Amino acid sequence: MRRGLTGCLLLMLVLVSLCSLADEPATLVIANRTVHQSALPLETLRAIFAMRQRTLPDGQAVHVYVLPDDNPVHEDFSKKILGVYPHQLRLAWDRAVFSGTGQAPNEVDDETEMLEAIVSTPGSIGYIQQSSLNDQVRVLDIE
Amino acid sequence: MNVADTFQVHGFMSQALIVTDHNDFFGPSSDDGGSLEYTELGLNASFRPFSHVLVAGQVLSRKAGNYGDAWQPELDYGVVDYQLIADEERAFGIQLGRFKNPFGFYNQTRDAPSTRPSILLPQSIYFDRSRSLGLASDGLSIYDEERFSNGTLYIQGGVGMPQVNSDAEISLSPDNPSLDGKLSSIGQVLYAHDGGRINVALSMARVRADYQSRQERQEKGEFIFQPMILSFQYNAENWSLTTEYEYQRKELKDSPVSSYNGRVNGESVYVQYLYRLSSRWQWLLRYDYAVSDRNDRDGERFEASGKGQDYSRFAKDVTAGVHWRVTPSWNIQAEVHHVDGTAWLPRQDNDDDNTEQHWNMLLLQTSFSF
Repeated sequence: MRRGLTGCLLLMLVLVSLCSLADEPATLVIANRTVHQSALPLETLRAIFAMRQRTLPDGQAVHVYVLPDDNPVHEDFSKKILGVYPHQLRLAWDRAVFSGTGQAPNEVDDETEMLEAIVSTPGSIGYIQQSSLNDQVRVLDIE
Repeated sequence: MNVADTFQVHGFMSQALIVTDHNDFFGPSSDDGGSLEYTELGLNASFRPFSHVLVAGQVLSRKAGNYGDAWQPELDYGVVDYQLIADEERAFGIQLGRFKNPFGFYNQTRDAPSTRPSILLPQSIYFDRSRSLGLASDGLSIYDEERFSNGTLYIQGGVGMPQVNSDAEISLSPDNPSLDGKLSSIGQVLYAHDGGRINVALSMARVRADYQSRQERQEKGEFIFQPMILSFQYNAENWSLTTEYEYQRKELKDSPVSSYNGRVNGESVYVQYLYRLSSRWQWLLRYDYAVSDRNDRDGERFEASGKGQDYSRFAKDVTAGVHWRVTPSWNIQAEVHHVDGTAWLPRQDNDDDNTEQHWNMLLLQTSFSF
């Protein structure tokens, strides 16, 4: 009886966690509040994160922040928002840096650092999970 | 963020061990123990003094067997890049200084190990023995990228002085003629669809140099090297298929003795399949074919005319390689080449009369970049 209960509980736990995995909050593109846009076209976002565009459409210098390549949020952002694989992004940065056509993005360790950087850096752009969002940053819609 | 915060320094270093059964590649590779004479060191710095401006420069020092001046640090690129337009639809800018030639998929970063799919780039197109011809230009380049709903068109065109060094002279002919670079031009159109899932490009260049034989005073004129490359790449999550075709024309004209004038059309093509087993391991297979003269594919007429061996006019290279990303910045790679022909074998390392048609090569390389 006791075993049965534990089993049920475990099963429920698994189900609950599976559900929460499926409903895992989406990744959002965020920017410093000085950024005027509320939305960006996908190809413009790709150009900014591939480090090929140095200013935002409003004219201010853009500062790109990213999480490490193997961070799940980075993977989610790359694949689901940008529609490119993390290894393609890494190659694009290496090509920019070693051909003199662009710079590398600023890499931060985790979402806490990401938020701090976006809040404190004018012209900055990055991404976080919806659950980590606060009202000190601007959310950009991707069209 | 102030200007100082935009300052960045990056670099790379690599060391290879090369072992061949016949012929030497980058040092005495056919000797017991192979050759360790392939080392690359690169260091670059960049900053953004104004929001639209990027200033970047890279110094490169390398040893590749008997190639050129070993270790001599060279300015690989040094550019001021001004982006005049950067809005949602396009980015348009100019680069002034020494810019890397946009040629095929790999030329601009041919010396940065982390950007190469294999230790050696396909030699038919990215030949190392006369690499200075296509490396970079001192001049002006204009670029434009036009964005569509799910794709971007890149257009780049430049004019400048090429770096035609002694490597191009010895590779053109064993007689080692003198070449003096003149104003040249280069252009590339590339379309990247769906974030680079499909990439298609056309690159063209016209490299000009004054030609003067060191043996015959009257054998002189204008040497023109005119390559055209068609590039195609498909990127899936775990694999990439890349193929490039090059048609290249070499011409000598305006010689006072018209019999010295002439034109040779060469051809190169490779097909490369790369598979990612995980984020750390990948392997690749490649077939690479080069022919110096399309009208003499097996080199028979070349040999009949007494200029050298027939097999020095083509090269068929089957390559298999494996790549281990030990950490994000540290890589170890290994590859084997099974080669028929010596069309791109460095003359700097070999005596033409002492080469073998069929040869095998093993390369091991460790590289670090930051």
